[in-house]
Amino acid sequence: MTPPPAPARQPDFQELRMTTAPSTVTATDLSLRYGGTHALDGVSLRLSRGVTGLLGPNGAGKTTLLRVLATAAPPDRGEFTVLGHDPGTAAGRLAVRRSLGYLPQTPGFHPDFTAFDFVDYVAILKELTDRGARRREVRRVLEAVDLSDVRGKRIKRLSGGMRQRVALAAALVGDPGFLVLDEPTVGLDPEQRMRFRELIAQAGEGRTVLLSTHQTEDVAMLCHRVVVLARGRVRFEGTPAELTARAAGRVWSSTERDPNALAGWRTGLGTFRNIGDPPKGADLLEPTLEDGYLLALDSESRTVTA
Amino acid sequence: MPLTPALLRSLVVPVWQSLPWRALAVAGGLGLLFAAAARLPEQGPGEDPGLFLLRLVALTGALGLAFLLDDPARNTTETTPLGRPLRAGLRVVLVAPLAVLWWTTALLLIPGPTRPPLGPVTLEAAAMAASALALATAAVRFTDAGEVGKATAVWLGITAAVAVLVPERWGLSAVPGEPWWEATQVRWAVVLGVTVAATALCTPEPLRRRSVKLGS
Repeated sequence: MTPPPAPARQPDFQELRMTTAPSTVTATDLSLRYGGTHALDGVSLRLSRGVTGLLGPNGAGKTTLLRVLATAAPPDRGEFTVLGHDPGTAAGRLAVRRSLGYLPQTPGFHPDFTAFDFVDYVAILKELTDRGARRREVRRVLEAVDLSDVRGKRIKRLSGGMRQRVALAAALVGDPGFLVLDEPTVGLDPEQRMRFRELIAQAGEGRTVLLSTHQTEDVAMLCHRVVVLARGRVRFEGTPAELTARAAGRVWSSTERDPNALAGWRTGLGTFRNIGDPPKGADLLEPTLEDGYLLALDSESRTVTA
Repeated sequence: MPLTPALLRSLVVPVWQSLPWRALAVAGGLGLLFAAAARLPEQGPGEDPGLFLLRLVALTGALGLAFLLDDPARNTTETTPLGRPLRAGLRVVLVAPLAVLWWTTALLLIPGPTRPPLGPVTLEAAAMAASALALATAAVRFTDAGEVGKATAVWLGITAAVAVLVPERWGLSAVPGEPWWEATQVRWAVVLGVTVAATALCTPEPLRRRSVKLGS
């Protein structure tokens, strides 16, 4: 017995504009195995300009997908294009890399470099030859990530949040058209996370950003599209509103944990928030993006997450 | 944009700064100390102490070179247009003159009467250095690790230990005057050729699948 779904929130004009925008990144049937494990299992997706969130539990294949799209790891099978370039050829991969900014999950640095020198080094690696123009660009991105004051400090002397911003500056330098961010807000305090969200939102203006995250709040606040990945497969692709709408009529409150619920947890009010197929007469609650995300997962992935 | 001299010039300073100077300095210093030991009144073991010490010097230098490709910023820079092979090549080019100078100094520290034939012992040193680079290049190629030096040094040490255990007749540790000395030099030349070829094969970034560590 499934209660009638609540009407989904109508996407606003901005969302409509974004979702109908032409694809800048397309992937078809991407697969990658490690031994007997399918890290990616036939992933197909399309990204357009703006910030797309990539949600999924640990081991879902998010980092692997990002590494493939960032040309750090070729797939076993499947094809993808980035801004019209096919990285399956040497020339295509070079063209993709010229349009790419990549922030890995745990960015590494030369610790004795200053923040400025490190971003300048990455700028050279991105073929910014002209010294004057390059230095202006480095100053611009360091200012964008609010690191101008510490640009002369060695990276080993910077806090974790500052290092993360150095890595973001390195990803942004050269104004790439495709930005790949792998859990950039992990380990940041709430204030730093908020600051990072501002930066990512700015970065998403006019370019394609793929943001991997565990935080549904990041997606709700930043993303015009969301992809849910679990066990190497795409479980959902659409707007955050559509993902939330999936949980409409499927979230209810109870005084005891409902054994029939797919997932449930005690809230701060002492009642249980359940998701799944509610019993007749259940006290339905307004769904959140997280509810929609949990429902998009298969049962095995959901157990891990919930 | 093709690789221009201006781009190369821009790269030299940061690549120079990013070299693993501590490991190179420790290995270089130790190597010269071993070579200087030849000047002590009590000389090294064996009938040919100069050769023994120079082999020790060469192995120490190779252990230092095992760290040459260490790059803690690897994952932050791996998808840039100027890729890893170029940077690795530049590191080798920058260090090569220093290595030659260091080896020459080590040779000069060995007193003339105990100095072994320079050509063969230099061939051995080159082969050991190439082995270190081949192992490091393979470690970079087949793993995600940014700093492969420690593991490479361990493997190089194990390889050297195994090589010493091989009887001189078939191994790499014969001394001048022994009947299999020349055959040993041929084997060192083969080691050099194979390791240089392995380095060349492992250096390019593959367009198809390569091994990566499983992330999230």
